[in-house]
Amino acid sequence: MTVSTLPDLPALAEFERVFLPNIEEDKTETLEEYLKVGGYEAVKIALAKKPEEITEIIKDSGLRGRGGAGFPTGMKWSFLPKGAHPRYLTINADESEPGTCKDRPLMEQRPHTLIEGIICSCIAIESEKAFIYIRGEYYKSAKVMQDAVDEAYAAGILGDNVMGSGKRVDVVVHRGAGAYICGEETALLTSLEGYRGYPKLKPPFPAIKGLYDKPTIINNVETIVSVGWILKKGADWFKKFTHERSTGQRLLCVSGHVKKPGVYELPMTLTLREIIYDVCGGMRNDHDLKFIIPGGSSVPWVLPEHLDATWSMEGLAAVGSSLGSAGMMVMDHTVCPVWALANLSAFYRHESCGQCTPCREGSAWLQKIVMRIERGEGEEGDLETLRAIAGTGPNTGMICGKSICALGDAAAWPVSSALNCFWDDFEEHIKTKGCKYKNKRYWMQDDRFVNETYEHKPSWGHH
Amino acid sequence: MRESNAVGYLDDKHEEIEALCAKYPSRRSALLPVLWMVQNKLGWVPQDAMKEVGDIIGVTAAEVYEVVSFYTMFQQKPTGKYHLGVCHTLACAICGAFEAIDYIKEKAGINHGRISDDGRFSIEELECIGACAEAPAMLVGETLHGNLTPASIDKILASCK
Ligand SMILES: Cc1cc2nc3c(=O)[nH]c(=O)nc-3n(C[C@H](O)[C@H](O)[C@H](O)COP(=O)(O)O)c2cc1C
Ligand code: SF4
Repeated sequence: MTVSTLPDLPALAEFERVFLPNIEEDKTETLEEYLKVGGYEAVKIALAKKPEEITEIIKDSGLRGRGGAGFPTGMKWSFLPKGAHPRYLTINADESEPGTCKDRPLMEQRPHTLIEGIICSCIAIESEKAFIYIRGEYYKSAKVMQDAVDEAYAAGILGDNVMGSGKRVDVVVHRGAGAYICGEETALLTSLEGYRGYPKLKPPFPAIKGLYDKPTIINNVETIVSVGWILKKGADWFKKFTHERSTGQRLLCVSGHVKKPGVYELPMTLTLREIIYDVCGGMRNDHDLKFIIPGGSSVPWVLPEHLDATWSMEGLAAVGSSLGSAGMMVMDHTVCPVWALANLSAFYRHESCGQCTPCREGSAWLQKIVMRIERGEGEEGDLETLRAIAGTGPNTGMICGKSICALGDAAAWPVSSALNCFWDDFEEHIKTKGCKYKNKRYWMQDDRFVNETYEHKPSWGHH
Repeated sequence: MRESNAVGYLDDKHEEIEALCAKYPSRRSALLPVLWMVQNKLGWVPQDAMKEVGDIIGVTAAEVYEVVSFYTMFQQKPTGKYHLGVCHTLACAICGAFEAIDYIKEKAGINHGRISDDGRFSIEELECIGACAEAPAMLVGETLHGNLTPASIDKILASCK
């Protein structure tokens, strides 16, 4: 995984990259190397402060969760009931939202920045134990994190006397085993307890009753890494680049049909146009842009007419979408929107944990109907049925707001958004019983992709 | 209650398992890590191993099965010597994942089902594996390979002896 360099944009002249600067491809920073560049200074700063003071700094920085929902981190921490111990910190390293691939380079290349953030956060929330829940497919991340944790124990940075302070912080690296739903915070906790990863109804929120029924804070990897940098460099440094209430840097993952896909560390002040055409070098083969999924597969789609929207939480909300987990998928004009939706609907049907009828059955019906339209077997009335199931916004339709967790909503949103953006394409598939997108070779049957016309001349892999 | 178990896949691991259990406030939390130990050793999780794991953790075989059957990475059937997990979700799909899957199947000799005729390879299509910026991508065992091309696939498969 290469972390991509940024072009010389005037808008970025004063911007300082900290997460992954100058890190060579596939190289892990050792403890020794990290200590040479100021590693674990944040822990010393945190140890010299009262827990509430740290939380205040995080509140002041405006840091909002990087896992998807964007909840203010300092505020989340202050929900912990006073005096209730033990309490746990859990790091969400499940990173399974399609389009998102930022926590992996953070863990694999600079594991000690995460441990540093964990110790600072544990001091702030007065926890002595943190769990890092890493998705099963990230074998290397888990190994690198475990090695780094062992290094930190051996150096007296973790354990019962953190850097000689007398404070205790233990870190356990825990691996999942393949389930998108375990990224949902309550499912993550049930999975960590050794059960099927079933989400639980909130309230009670994990801050009150979480892991082993104890107060628990769950934060994304990048959120916790940011905590360390904020303590080191100050809340004002973090707020230097701000759009409305979106402060600080974020790792943006760009995939799909741009010339330079990659993971970019950026402030939330650029427009989508600047990101696609300046940062990512434009569209591959100079094709036309068809649509963007800007924040992981669950968020509404964005059309080229909104390219001047700011890539920030508020900027994307203003065009009806969301920054989500900052996984941006860019589609050129060769992509059939019906086919793209079928792919995502298959994903959600597969990942629904099956506890709630609206989500389990609804995601299956959405997939079946989208796939039959895609195959050229759509029937009159199918689009209306899709609308009725997926709804048109929060708490509408048959799924949204009617299930235990937000996966149900996430299955419905792409459908209603695709219909809003590309109604004509859907109608044309039904009327003509076919698809005009010639480059597409795949048709789907039920939940399987069936190749009908592949000739042995791969048209891919020539970048 | 721990009964003596007939299978003994984990006979050499008991110390390691006890150390693992001690990391968690509840023994049950060690269930996934112990299942990983089984899969690392055998390449899959057979039913008699579920009984053994249950005895060690202190839950029934049925409870272990309930967990194994939820997580897609736990294999309930034997796999090939090299297990190929190819991503097929949108970011990879629009960058040629399905063409890659066909190419891999042909080159690996996977003609029916999921295991190659010589037992060397097995294949599975995976949902997003977090390699979106280097699509198309696949896992070979524990190793991630991104930016797949016909040439890189040839090289990867040839290195799987
Ligand atoms: C279906 C679903 C999947 C999720 N997957 C992830 C994930 O992979 N990683 C993550 O950090 N948050 C994920 N979240 C969000 C978490 O529930 C939670 O909000 C987040 O980890 C909180 O951390 P933050 O405040 O630091 O962002 C998911 C949420 C839902 C509903
Ligand atoms: S909404 Fe879906 S994924 Fe979430 S708990 Fe219900 S069935 Fe499971």
